[in-house]
Amino acid sequence: MFTHSPLRLTTLAILAAGSLAYAFVAGFYGMEILAEIAILAILVIALDLVAGFGGMVSLCHGALLGVGAYAFTVAANDAGLTALPAMLLAVALTSALSFLIGAVCARSTGIYFIMATLAFGQMAYSFVFQSPLFGGDDGLSGAPRPDLSAVGIDLTDSRAFAVYAILLVAFAYAVAAATLRSGLGRSLVGLHHNEKRLRALGLTVWRAKATAFAISGALAGLAGCLAAQHTQFISPGLLSWTVSGEALVVVILGGLGTLVGPLLGAILFVVLKHEISAITPYWHAIVGVILIAVVMSRAKGVFGFIEARWEARKAQPLVKEAKADA
Amino acid sequence: MTTDIGFWVLQTLNALQLSMLLFLLSVGLTVIFGLMHFVNLAHGSLYAFGAYIAATLAGTLGYWGGFLLAPLAVAALGAVLYFTLIRSQRRAGPMAQVLITFGLIFVAVDATRLVWGDLPIGIAVPELFEGQLALLGVEYPIYRLFIIALGLAVLGVLTLILTRTQIGAMIRAGVDNDQMAACLGINVERMFFLVFVVGCALAGLAGAVAAPVLSVTPDMGLQILIPTLIVIVIGGLGSLKGAVAGSLIFGFVQTFGAVILPTLSPVLIYALLAAVLVTRPQGLLPAKG
Repeated sequence: MFTHSPLRLTTLAILAAGSLAYAFVAGFYGMEILAEIAILAILVIALDLVAGFGGMVSLCHGALLGVGAYAFTVAANDAGLTALPAMLLAVALTSALSFLIGAVCARSTGIYFIMATLAFGQMAYSFVFQSPLFGGDDGLSGAPRPDLSAVGIDLTDSRAFAVYAILLVAFAYAVAAATLRSGLGRSLVGLHHNEKRLRALGLTVWRAKATAFAISGALAGLAGCLAAQHTQFISPGLLSWTVSGEALVVVILGGLGTLVGPLLGAILFVVLKHEISAITPYWHAIVGVILIAVVMSRAKGVFGFIEARWEARKAQPLVKEAKADA
Repeated sequence: MTTDIGFWVLQTLNALQLSMLLFLLSVGLTVIFGLMHFVNLAHGSLYAFGAYIAATLAGTLGYWGGFLLAPLAVAALGAVLYFTLIRSQRRAGPMAQVLITFGLIFVAVDATRLVWGDLPIGIAVPELFEGQLALLGVEYPIYRLFIIALGLAVLGVLTLILTRTQIGAMIRAGVDNDQMAACLGINVERMFFLVFVVGCALAGLAGAVAAPVLSVTPDMGLQILIPTLIVIVIGGLGSLKGAVAGSLIFGFVQTFGAVILPTLSPVLIYALLAAVLVTRPQGLLPAKG
């Protein structure tokens, strides 16, 4: 079950304080990076919810993000909605779609689950890529940012937008944590450990999986809305399976199944990407090598490593006692 | 247009050519999965590597030099990968394998960009197969007919090996139950290695034959990966018949979908894949019962 250990709470507090403080001192470039981190952070929180806790390794979360971004842009541009209702609609639509995907894929496990989600993701990608309604491979532009002038906030200002993005990350984290602490979250972790036992206990397995997937999809859709508002231009590339693959990489680098780790992973990934790509155009190769090294070392990512160290330090006296007994 | 017999012949040949190219790729991947339960997302990168080797050697040794050496070079690379990464991750579960081979794709794409640059490389069709052949009222490039013939030849050889030889029987036993096969005295480890290297060589061969018809670019491995995965999942992981069936289904659905239902065609194959996964999660012709 998911709990907030003191280490996790401390890390969260540092991350929140650090990012907010950075948002107020950073230049324009730093704020663009912050917004990029925030989008990725929401996406990886969504992915960690199903992959880390439910064992449902999804390769369609990039596509879900894209669906959210497209739904938001089309609702705002063509249906004439203002930004906030458009966001709600986009998130609801992505969530409903995720529920369907989750329900259909609930029967398959392991590599078949990965392949099935990949198929649905690619289906969405191909559909958007060739559909004239969604601008095809030209993409769509003109997604609006929410108008908060009523409370005196101008989101076209990049500092305000960065703070708004950080607040959305906090919201997404709270939703994920609340889900994991609810009955559904406990069932999800139980399903990961022993599906047969939970079936025997009377759980409707497909519904639990699909509901968890729907919540995760809603968060991915939220990340999509934020992505559309950030660049105000979207293209089918958002839905590509490599986006899902990268999100999975970030979850692993940060620490699968810790919820806090992926946040660290998102920061590391975006910063590394910009730092390394400033030095060499071959930054993907370096990320690839780091990924292989992390997976082969069997450490549970950066945060998993820190947690293991922390636990080992605390557990040391007990180990000595056990040895003395023997 | 659709009443013209030539049109159907032409599209059938196009579909067959795509199917055979995919078959060369997917057969290695599917047998590796069936035998070793290893998911190798970097299989497409091996194909791209084969294409680059063939394109490079075509300049000095001619097309046939590249055609022969590309599979060997890719097999050698496969052997290196086997001992460094694959062997230790065999029991690590699909998640770790997907991630490690995904990391390998990153490295492979940038390595090819570093060595061969970003621009596409094209090579000429070998002299022997230049020109067109008149067939049932259509002119069809001889080289593409050669791809179809090569695919069929590889299929024939593999079928013979798998059904008629001792090593084939051992591989089938390993796919069915590797622990029991090991108990019966089969050196399963060595067999894994052999199958992995042969699968890599076939990917290299596919790259070499594809080089003259497609342009050789760093992301060609990534582009072919999804079709290959679809083929083996539709067909059923681990089975030769499944790879054949999956390749044919993919080739024909893709080719005829594009000419008959152009608006729906990109979604068609994914919808088919989803339908297969929902109704028969193990694929159409799985290796095990």
